Amino acid sequence: MKPLYKLAAVLLPLGILVAAIPDNKVGVEKSDPQTILAEVKDGSHLLTTDVVADMLVKKDPTLQLIDVRSKAEYDQYHLQGAVSVPLDNLLSEEFVSYFDQDMKMNVLYANGTTAASEAWMLLRQQGYKSLYIMQGGMNYWAETIMNPSRPAATASDDELARYDFRKAAGGVLGGGAPVSATAVSAPAPAAPKAGAAPKKKRAAGGC
Amino acid sequence: MGPLSFYEIISENTNFLMAFIIGIGFGFVLENSGFSSSRKLAGMFYGYDTTVLKVFFTAAITAMLGMILFGLFGWLDLSVVFVNPTYLWSAIAGGIVMGAGFIMGGFCPGTSFCGAAIGKIDAMVFVGGLFIGVLIFMEGYPLFEKLYNAADLGAPFVYDSLGMSRGLFAFLLVVVALAAFVGAEWAEKKFPRDEY
Repeated sequence: MKPLYKLAAVLLPLGILVAAIPDNKVGVEKSDPQTILAEVKDGSHLLTTDVVADMLVKKDPTLQLIDVRSKAEYDQYHLQGAVSVPLDNLLSEEFVSYFDQDMKMNVLYANGTTAASEAWMLLRQQGYKSLYIMQGGMNYWAETIMNPSRPAATASDDELARYDFRKAAGGVLGGGAPVSATAVSAPAPAAPKAGAAPKKKRAAGGC
Repeated sequence: MGPLSFYEIISENTNFLMAFIIGIGFGFVLENSGFSSSRKLAGMFYGYDTTVLKVFFTAAITAMLGMILFGLFGWLDLSVVFVNPTYLWSAIAGGIVMGAGFIMGGFCPGTSFCGAAIGKIDAMVFVGGLFIGVLIFMEGYPLFEKLYNAADLGAPFVYDSLGMSRGLFAFLLVVVALAAFVGAEWAEKKFPRDEY
């Protein structure tokens, strides 16, 4: 048998095989439970309200706040620059572009920590990265940033410094008074264009 | 699971070691296929010897099928495999320069090193020319810079542009390759040369 025929006998069936199999989703990278568990234990996905306030004050362009409360609660009051992604519609197509990116830090928040944690877990299982939770949510935000309680005069320097920061940040971010519906409501930024994000680091190669 | 170095299953150093071993294998196959002879390579352009087409096209479609199947099995994450970005004009200009050099010198960069390694003088001259070319490009970079970076298309895929699935395109490419091999054998009969 000619070598060409042998080659054709091997390659043609394989070619037909790959043509017949629909584009697979098997290879799509999903985060495995072990990785997520390690992250949960590690706790690096939890951000304090101070860190978030600091990023907001400095107008950190990598910060993307995501409000997972209902749309009504979002409309009433939300953090500066936050976008509304209600937990009920978390997996809806229209929000994919917020999560399918790796330029920004997506910081999830709700009133407490529970809803944000649920959203975080669901999104991590989808394989999305760069997700964080604002610990304590809006309630803790109001308590620490908007209306920080003055520490005792005998408190340590650190604590006093933190109080000063909170007071200043709260002032910049529209606090100082009990949170009201008339507080900050900056227009939500447009979703980052899917696909426009620079490709993540690839394994280098070439000839 | 793969690419092994990307997922840090093997270290960067092991990766280099494997590249070294694969490189030796590549050189061995080039030499073994007779690619260290510039006459054999030039035969591609005259039709009397089409080994170049057969070896490289077979290698390309074998690697293609292998990668797609590995991807289907979940052994290789194709989304992180490096795809050389396309700069349209520099690709065209580079293709012309490389093609002209290939016909004139009878080597492509890889085979010239193969030839030089077994002591072929024309290959050594070619390698010398290669370095002169590199030097001209480096020193003249400000002149070429605009062309070099023009029309960055990212990393487009032919099958996306054609709107077909990856698998179908792969199959069609296999058919094209086999047809090319038939054509190549015809050319070898049509323009035979006894000695070269």
